[in-house]
Amino acid sequence: MQDSYRELFLSESQEYLSNISNRLVKLESNPSDPESLNEIFRCVHTLKGMSATMGYERLTQLSHHMEDLLEELRGQKRKVTPEIMDVLFASVDVLSELVEDIKTNRESEINISAYISELEQIIHSDIPSASKAEAAFPRGKTSPVHPESIEFSEEELKAIRYAKSKGFNIFKINIRLVSDCLMKESRAFLIITNLKKIGEILKAVPPVEELEKGFFDFSFSVVLITREAQAVIRQEMMMISEVEGVYVNPVEVSAPVGPAANTPAHAYIKKIQSLRIPIERLDKIMNLIGELAIARIRLSQIVANIKEESLEEASVLLSSLISALQDEIMQTRLLPVAYILDTFPRMVRDMAKKEEKRIDLEIVGSDIELDRVILDEIGDPLVHLIRNSIDHGIESPQERKAVGKPPAGKLQILVSRQKGQISIEISDDGRGVEFDAVKNIALRKGLITQEEADGLDDKKVLDLISLPGFSTSEKITDISGRGVGLDAVKSKIESIGGRLDFTTNLGKGSTFILSLPFTLAIIKAMLVRVGKEVFAVPLINIRETIKVEKHDIKVLQNLEVIRVREEIIPVLRLDKEFVITISPEDKNRNALGEINSNQEDGRVPIVIVEFGKHSLGLVVSQVIGEQDIVVKPLTSLIKRTRGIAGATILGDGKVALILDIMSLK
Amino acid sequence: MARVMIVDDALFMRQLLTKIFVDEGYEVCVEAGTARDAVEKYKEFKPDVVTMDIVMPMMEDLDGIGAVKEILKFDPRAKVVVVSVMGEQSLVVEAIKAGAKDFVVKPVRPARLLDVVKGLLR
Repeated sequence: MQDSYRELFLSESQEYLSNISNRLVKLESNPSDPESLNEIFRCVHTLKGMSATMGYERLTQLSHHMEDLLEELRGQKRKVTPEIMDVLFASVDVLSELVEDIKTNRESEINISAYISELEQIIHSDIPSASKAEAAFPRGKTSPVHPESIEFSEEELKAIRYAKSKGFNIFKINIRLVSDCLMKESRAFLIITNLKKIGEILKAVPPVEELEKGFFDFSFSVVLITREAQAVIRQEMMMISEVEGVYVNPVEVSAPVGPAANTPAHAYIKKIQSLRIPIERLDKIMNLIGELAIARIRLSQIVANIKEESLEEASVLLSSLISALQDEIMQTRLLPVAYILDTFPRMVRDMAKKEEKRIDLEIVGSDIELDRVILDEIGDPLVHLIRNSIDHGIESPQERKAVGKPPAGKLQILVSRQKGQISIEISDDGRGVEFDAVKNIALRKGLITQEEADGLDDKKVLDLISLPGFSTSEKITDISGRGVGLDAVKSKIESIGGRLDFTTNLGKGSTFILSLPFTLAIIKAMLVRVGKEVFAVPLINIRETIKVEKHDIKVLQNLEVIRVREEIIPVLRLDKEFVITISPEDKNRNALGEINSNQEDGRVPIVIVEFGKHSLGLVVSQVIGEQDIVVKPLTSLIKRTRGIAGATILGDGKVALILDIMSLK
Repeated sequence: MARVMIVDDALFMRQLLTKIFVDEGYEVCVEAGTARDAVEKYKEFKPDVVTMDIVMPMMEDLDGIGAVKEILKFDPRAKVVVVSVMGEQSLVVEAIKAGAKDFVVKPVRPARLLDVVKGLLR
């Protein structure tokens, strides 16, 4: 029980923390932004409540102190100053570390007392504004209510026992109001009025009189003696607006004095609109659906042989249901890019501060969805590209002023959908890449010839600057410039079937463009036949398909090559690579009756694929056509087979192997 | 769809609230601009939900609170949602005592108001 709550706690608290961070960044640039302040306050408040419920003492304490400070800021009793921002940022970092420790089951060694005392110092320092009288608002009485913290006097215990003996239920009801609730005293009055209609209030924390004056945080507890059942009470409370959550727990009095009901039988939560499901479970479902699709194909083949109309109808219906199910499950794999981009504002702020640069970050299109597997993979590459822009691209405010640019650099992350792909563009308005500098270094290091150097373009520059050990930056900073990275970014992106492009404009800025597939589970592929076997070539790798005369394939230094428009491309015969015998019948296999055999008409179909800056021509028997295929991972036994990335099931139930272009050489 | 009656002495507020409800597919069956009118229209139309401006001036011996009381006397199960401005706690409390089911605070946030009405109609 505790464990499943723990998971929920971890994932939710991380969301809150990242939200707090981002809002802090916003607040820093606009210290009088009430919306950010309210949002930060709300998140910290919720986090405190969650932590207290889970018994995470230090999280509770620190967030409680933060909340105190935020309350003052929110009430405009205190102005947002850079010192306060620093303390808040530092505190959020500590909160994140504490959560991380919980996540990794680590015995936390973080000492929060220093942070608490810093927060307290600010809170206790003189309030510069004149509204001191208002500050005397009895916050002391607004002690947060811990659901377990109600203690009963002897009389109250007696009353509870008596009520129980008469068959009444006794519930401890914890009610939390939404944090932007207005006129909460009236709200409390409404709640208490409604409770009184269904029972008798034995006790409230804080007491009813205080509740009706609004002297409480956003939550309070009531002990109710009633004939009604737990569910009825919950329902009644849920009907009242601005009630964010209701916990109803039976009060146990058999235990001697002390905190009652330590095993809460939770009856709780208003309006569940989403569920958290472990990723492994989704993967299992995905796999089962794959199996289901295969079974369906077998079934429909059997049905086709039997020729029984009613059976056929049922089979068709089943098929369409399974496809619909497959689509739905596919959707569950998608997450908005915001999932990773949300942490970026804070990161950019920190990096910029360190580099003493000023940067306005703009993120567009973060609601676009991507397969979570891809999201997992692109986080690091994106961070690297951003570091790159901050470190190498955007100039210092002084430099920018000197060339007539605004002192703050602009960094834009633009996510968009483009013909079956997702594109993520990271552009800065910095200094751009100086071709001459790249050229000189490349020449000096012997990476290119003078001739190549003369024909340098954006694509080649990217190839050069992403070479390991290549750096145009004179200084080596903490974040980049060590000459590792861009190459890693490039190969990472390519390994998930994506592409990295680059454009630059000297003095105006640079743009990195990531093109990514929507999902790794379904990809667009070109089906090709080699002998009897069908292979799928990921479309993203394909440059073009051509047919050449047999004698166009030349041998150059023991390598077969073809010449395509002035370019010499090495050729790989897939039948040889995968040891497939092409028998004479295979050559004539032709479902459509088209010319397709390489020997007969003398023309050989070749699929030209690209990876990095290399091209390769794949000799096949027939190019069948484009298709969406469902990628099924291979089992560990054949996982490491070179050249094969996975398998897919074709419409006729046959298995086709998916080529891994990267590892074909 | 549920039928709503809107009571407010300001035409602007009535129009605003009407739009909120109509956009969400509710039927605003009748509007009233005075407390007395509200009571009579309620008896005539018997709407599912009433939004009642609580800070209405006394006219024909009846103010907002009086209207809430009369409506609930006529129909103890009437679903009256009080609309109040900030700071009128005592009026809201009085309305709740009289049997108002819920309240919203001006400026009215459409989502909040719809939430309240949805809760009452469940």
